[in-house]
Amino acid sequence: MKTSKRLLALSASAMMAMSAMVPSAVMAESVAEVSPEGRTVLTFAFDEGVGTPTEEAIALFNASQDEIFVQSYHLPQDANNLHDDFVNKMVAQDTSVDIMALDVVYIAEFASAGWVADLSDLYSEEELGAYLDGTVAGATVDGKLYAAPWFTNASALFYRTDVLEDLGITEVPTTFQGWIDVYEKLDKESGIDYAFCFQAAQSEALVCNWVEFLASYGASVLDEEGKPAVNSAEAVAATQAMADFIGKYAPEGTTTYAETESQQVFQEGKALTCRTWSGTWNTFNDEAQSDVAGKVGMTVLPVNAEGDTAHSCLGGLDLVVNTYIDDAQKEAAKTFIKWMTSEEEEKNFCLSSSQPPTVKAVYQDAEVLEAIPFYTDFYSIIENGKGRPSSANYAELSDAIQRNVHAALTGETAVEDALNALYDEASALQ
Amino acid sequence: MSSDNKPTIVYKKKEVRTAWLMMAPALIVLAVIAVYPILRTFYLSFHEMNLKRPQSGFPFIGFQNYMKIFSDARAGTDILFTVKFTVTTVLLEMVIGFAAALIMNRAFKGRGIVRAAILVPWAIPTSVSAMMWKFIYNDQYGMFNDILYRFGIIKAYKAWLSTASGSFMALVITDVWKTAPYMALLILAGLQMIPGELYESAKLDGANAIQRFWNVTLPLAKRSLLVALLFRTLDAFRVFDLISVLTGGANGTESIAVYSYKQLMTFLDFGYGSALAVLIFLIVFAISVVYMIFLKGDLVSE
Repeated sequence: MKTSKRLLALSASAMMAMSAMVPSAVMAESVAEVSPEGRTVLTFAFDEGVGTPTEEAIALFNASQDEIFVQSYHLPQDANNLHDDFVNKMVAQDTSVDIMALDVVYIAEFASAGWVADLSDLYSEEELGAYLDGTVAGATVDGKLYAAPWFTNASALFYRTDVLEDLGITEVPTTFQGWIDVYEKLDKESGIDYAFCFQAAQSEALVCNWVEFLASYGASVLDEEGKPAVNSAEAVAATQAMADFIGKYAPEGTTTYAETESQQVFQEGKALTCRTWSGTWNTFNDEAQSDVAGKVGMTVLPVNAEGDTAHSCLGGLDLVVNTYIDDAQKEAAKTFIKWMTSEEEEKNFCLSSSQPPTVKAVYQDAEVLEAIPFYTDFYSIIENGKGRPSSANYAELSDAIQRNVHAALTGETAVEDALNALYDEASALQ
Repeated sequence: MSSDNKPTIVYKKKEVRTAWLMMAPALIVLAVIAVYPILRTFYLSFHEMNLKRPQSGFPFIGFQNYMKIFSDARAGTDILFTVKFTVTTVLLEMVIGFAAALIMNRAFKGRGIVRAAILVPWAIPTSVSAMMWKFIYNDQYGMFNDILYRFGIIKAYKAWLSTASGSFMALVITDVWKTAPYMALLILAGLQMIPGELYESAKLDGANAIQRFWNVTLPLAKRSLLVALLFRTLDAFRVFDLISVLTGGANGTESIAVYSYKQLMTFLDFGYGSALAVLIFLIVFAISVVYMIFLKGDLVSE
């Protein structure tokens, strides 16, 4: 009896110690405590990836007027996780969040399920013209605007400027082979183990990377008529190249990497290049986090053959309004969204988060260009960006791509067999 | 026992009524949070219901969702994987848990600390420990690689989670690490109920340590062992969070619960997803029945 009591006390204290050790990042959801007087309170849900700059923007908005008070609702930085959380809320017709920052690929799904409010009257024709065409197209379903483009995102290739300088290379390579040639000139002392690092864990990141490899080899997921073309000869060649790189020019663990893991390899100075989202520029050049700060350049993604055009995958978040909240809340939400996507705030947000804005004019802004000089080149990357295949069944299509392409990359399945299987699954979804 | 006179019967009736009355709040809560969702899932599984296609309505389609499971190769693969995972982890947990329980059952200095310390893995939420192990298995800075490398077992760091065998091994290690302590504790409770005199008389009869284990410890600890096995088998078969975080179902490590979740929450196919959930329920129910028969047989034979 005595022993068991002691055992209980001990295990209880052990458990308490454990819970104290759990890092705060694990506490995924947190709602800020506020007590606004007489204001319409809106809850804005967004992911931790843009946590701090968004908090700043919200504080700025709250200080700017006295009708509306916005409180924040943080979610973890994981597109799939975020999707599932929002779906859960919408299915339950939950009104605890008013505005959601939704990944662009899910707009079609949310609109066709009737979960997000029609925002067609948010902008005038003229106002809409100020936004990047691709972002407006991504927010439009069946001719109606269901989302406001908040920030866009395109991947780019980051590389080590110091390495090219040391080798006396003045022209930045544009092809995969070009980068491999540079890599092969390096000796062991450079500390560089890999030519490339990218993301191929069975996740949404893999879909983006694969779509880009396809584009670099002149292939695409859907053909011009919208039919699957995933097992074309070009697609097979692109996937084969991707598989061959892993373990040879890219870390063996690439098939387990999402963004964070692959960026870590580059930040530690172990890779010549890293394909990731443009917003990572700040992280790579932050001395506290990165060993290669100040030695990082950014360029277009490599292509297979000289003269081809690379197409970065477009990402980013749109702002959508929960359709189940009452009209007064909806009007307040629209006011907030319009403020968030105004040219002035897009510029502010771009400067604080280094996320690419959706308003074209910001890319020409002198202050922005001074802070983020690569936007001169980056504007063409964004313009050449391609969305992932748009589909009301995007979740299923993405899942089919993730499983089959991952199996091909790990070597569980032969590339051609995997893509044929993917073709069948994609056709069945049509 | 009491004789069958009238006042006792009245009293008994009253007692039964009071018992029901006092259990009512618990029963109502159970009905709301357990019975209703189960019945609702059964109900949904006989309908077509895809939240992304509200226009298709909510028609009754009989057993079509269940027929689909048989033609869905992915569901079959996932069930096989889940069975393999369950058998492997539960067996290892039983052996390790039993050994740990035997050690903890002996009197030694610091026994209280050991008993508390062994519970630590069990006390950490699964998703947190899965994140932790993901770091441990990392191919660039993972501790797992470092240890094996230092001992000369591997020549270079490996990406453990990039292959089917590596992923399976990683999942099994993590699950055993987390739940063997739980098994150990349940078995320990059983061991502590064995009276010391039995061992003494066995010793006097000349039984050696192995004979004492097989003839005294094992038969008497059997019931708590079966209860522990029952809990673990059910849990292992429904494995979700560990796989979801550690591998995301990659490399053929998708459990049937992960697939069911995908159908429900990602594809929003509530009809088919519910049918898969019902299937898990039925299998888990069957496993419990088998264990119950063993447990009952055990009771009767005593």
